[in-house]
Amino acid sequence: MRTFLKGASSAILATAAAVTAVVSVSSIGQAAEFDGVTIEAKLIGGQQYEALYARIPEWEAATGAKVNIISKKNHFELDKEFKSDIAAGTTDWCVGSNHSSFASQYSALYTDLGDLVSKDTVAEFVQANIKAATFDGKLVMLPRAQFDVSALYYQKDLYEDAEKAAAFEDKYGYPLAVPETWAQVKDQAIFFADPPNFYGTQYAGKDEAIVGRYYEMVVAEGGKLFNDDFSPAFNSEEGKRALQWFVDLYDAGAVPAGTTNYLWDDLGNGFASGTIGLNLDWPGWAGFFNDPSASKVAGNVGVAPAPKGSAGVRTGWSGFHGFSVTEDCENKEAAASLVDFLTNEDSQKLESAAGPLPSRTAVWDYVSEQAKGDPYRSEVLAAFKETAATAFAVPPTPLWVETTNIIYPELQAAILGDKTVDEALADAQDSVDELMQEEGVY
Amino acid sequence: MKRLKLPPWLVLLLPAIIILSAVVLIPLVFSLYSSFTSYRLTRPDSIFNWVGLFNYEKAVTDVKFWAAFGRTVLLLAVALNLEMLLGLGLALMVSKVTSGQRLLRTMMMFPMMFSPILVGFQFKFIFNDNVGLVNNALQSLGITDQAIPWLVDGNLAMFSIIFAEVWTATSVFGILILAGLYAIPRDPLEAAKVDGCTSLQSFRYVTLPFLMPFIYIAMAIRSLDVARAYDIVQIMTNGGPARRTELLWTLIGRTGYVDARMGYANAMGYISIFLAIFFTVYFFKKLTQSRRELGMGA
Repeated sequence: MRTFLKGASSAILATAAAVTAVVSVSSIGQAAEFDGVTIEAKLIGGQQYEALYARIPEWEAATGAKVNIISKKNHFELDKEFKSDIAAGTTDWCVGSNHSSFASQYSALYTDLGDLVSKDTVAEFVQANIKAATFDGKLVMLPRAQFDVSALYYQKDLYEDAEKAAAFEDKYGYPLAVPETWAQVKDQAIFFADPPNFYGTQYAGKDEAIVGRYYEMVVAEGGKLFNDDFSPAFNSEEGKRALQWFVDLYDAGAVPAGTTNYLWDDLGNGFASGTIGLNLDWPGWAGFFNDPSASKVAGNVGVAPAPKGSAGVRTGWSGFHGFSVTEDCENKEAAASLVDFLTNEDSQKLESAAGPLPSRTAVWDYVSEQAKGDPYRSEVLAAFKETAATAFAVPPTPLWVETTNIIYPELQAAILGDKTVDEALADAQDSVDELMQEEGVY
Repeated sequence: MKRLKLPPWLVLLLPAIIILSAVVLIPLVFSLYSSFTSYRLTRPDSIFNWVGLFNYEKAVTDVKFWAAFGRTVLLLAVALNLEMLLGLGLALMVSKVTSGQRLLRTMMMFPMMFSPILVGFQFKFIFNDNVGLVNNALQSLGITDQAIPWLVDGNLAMFSIIFAEVWTATSVFGILILAGLYAIPRDPLEAAKVDGCTSLQSFRYVTLPFLMPFIYIAMAIRSLDVARAYDIVQIMTNGGPARRTELLWTLIGRTGYVDARMGYANAMGYISIFLAIFFTVYFFKKLTQSRRELGMGA
């Protein structure tokens, strides 16, 4: 009897709750579309990403849903966490930060946003980005305003000294000007270097970072990293020329001796410290480099499009951040609505106001318009727009990260002189080939 | 029906057995099993893909694995001996101090209180070639005008890591040996003095044998610590550049979690465990032997 009463009372309560929910939804209409829904999210953390997250309460107020951020880490840490989640089957959280370089690994984790977001919305993004976010016909993420491609930052006064210019022309036989090719970058970097006080340039020296830099240099030399069947193709003349560029600069002392240990933060801070002449770097640093409270080169920073390799092709390894919805998410519509909100026009305007590049066509136009009164910002945007026009994403293989882990120690070995360029590339090519065969890629 | 009655010893041990199975035995068996599969974290169904001894064969024939193995043994040998010598010296000096000894003992333990990750970051900054403390000091003092690549050069990078390890763990030896010094009976030392031993002789033939059991215990503990060295190295060099500081666990960690090849990583892990087992058995043998010499049991 007691059990019956208990059951009956819960039924009444449930009905009452349902009625209330219906009433509240209909009374405020669309506004409470996802009342009572909680979306768990794992997002990339870091100061430059926070401004966007401050908009989340607006979405919560508009939809009635709640967002619970259960993890906030950089992408390398998130990557490990996602892999552990996949292994443990704990993938019922809903929204995850994603990156074009990592995305191909998580094909089973994320759902197809093509089914959840309208075609019109998708059409508003830069289509090259949408293509790079689509794997096997599945749109796995919507890009946020964090499109990344690298352009060449330089210290302007290096090109304003007549004595220096004459000495350079004497030595190299052509006038000193902001470099348009990587061969010129090499000449100038060696010419400007005065270690340990000043270095001509620098490069990311480990992990995926150096492989990305090498990859774009191979492309600029007219080669490729992989054949169409994903067999390695970098042990070629183009691949060797590309690696030789890194080796020559290191041997000449034109880059800091510790460069093989440097990642993005070390590079950005290095250029801001005023000890680096030329620096291929991401758009996110533009504001920082020209901020007098943070950078010694503020007011002296020029930005040019990424130089070209000997094949006449610009380097343009690009990537972008985005948001994905998991396959196991209980309320995919709500999650997709959040992703849509975080990548909509207003969100992208907000994020790109601080410097990062947008991934929506309309926002590109908007930021160019906004920058009109600011010559530095206009120069930055022009340089990055030019570079973005021929940018390319990483090869779409789920084994990309693993491949980079095989290649980078070999590149380092050549740079540090443990192996010759030929030996290093042959070893790297063999190991990648072995991996691809082991994984049944071909 | 007769109720199943377990013997009392089993009932009493059951909670321990259940907990140990859950947290040690099952994961151990599972990881051992996975080392015979092509298990990848990103493809959970690959756990059923039995590949026999493939992962073990791959590891055993991989030059990179054995290079990392050799480097780990080198780190163990150098770091343990240095820590032991410095710890012994530290303990002998502290034991002679008459006032403020308690404060000194506490101060000695400071490095142990920092998380290894933070120690890694601290030394990564100290040894940075461009903005680091060491290079700046050397350049300001006019000792060098070069930017010494502490974390890049093959020998210097290993030295920097050993330096960080020694800085953080010498006090483990210091504290244990100090405890040993307090436990030494006064009679044999006084007898040695009466017999005309010099202080060096009484240290070598009386104090040191008494300290050996403590030293071996510290060695066994630290050998396990160093054999699984990961955090400090991961932060300072991540095993690089060009694998110059690659140790077993940076290699295994990357293979398992970044490359997602857990089956292969587990196989390497099982081979590596032998290293830890070898050192533990070796030091315990030494410990028993030195206790026997002191007449402290079989």
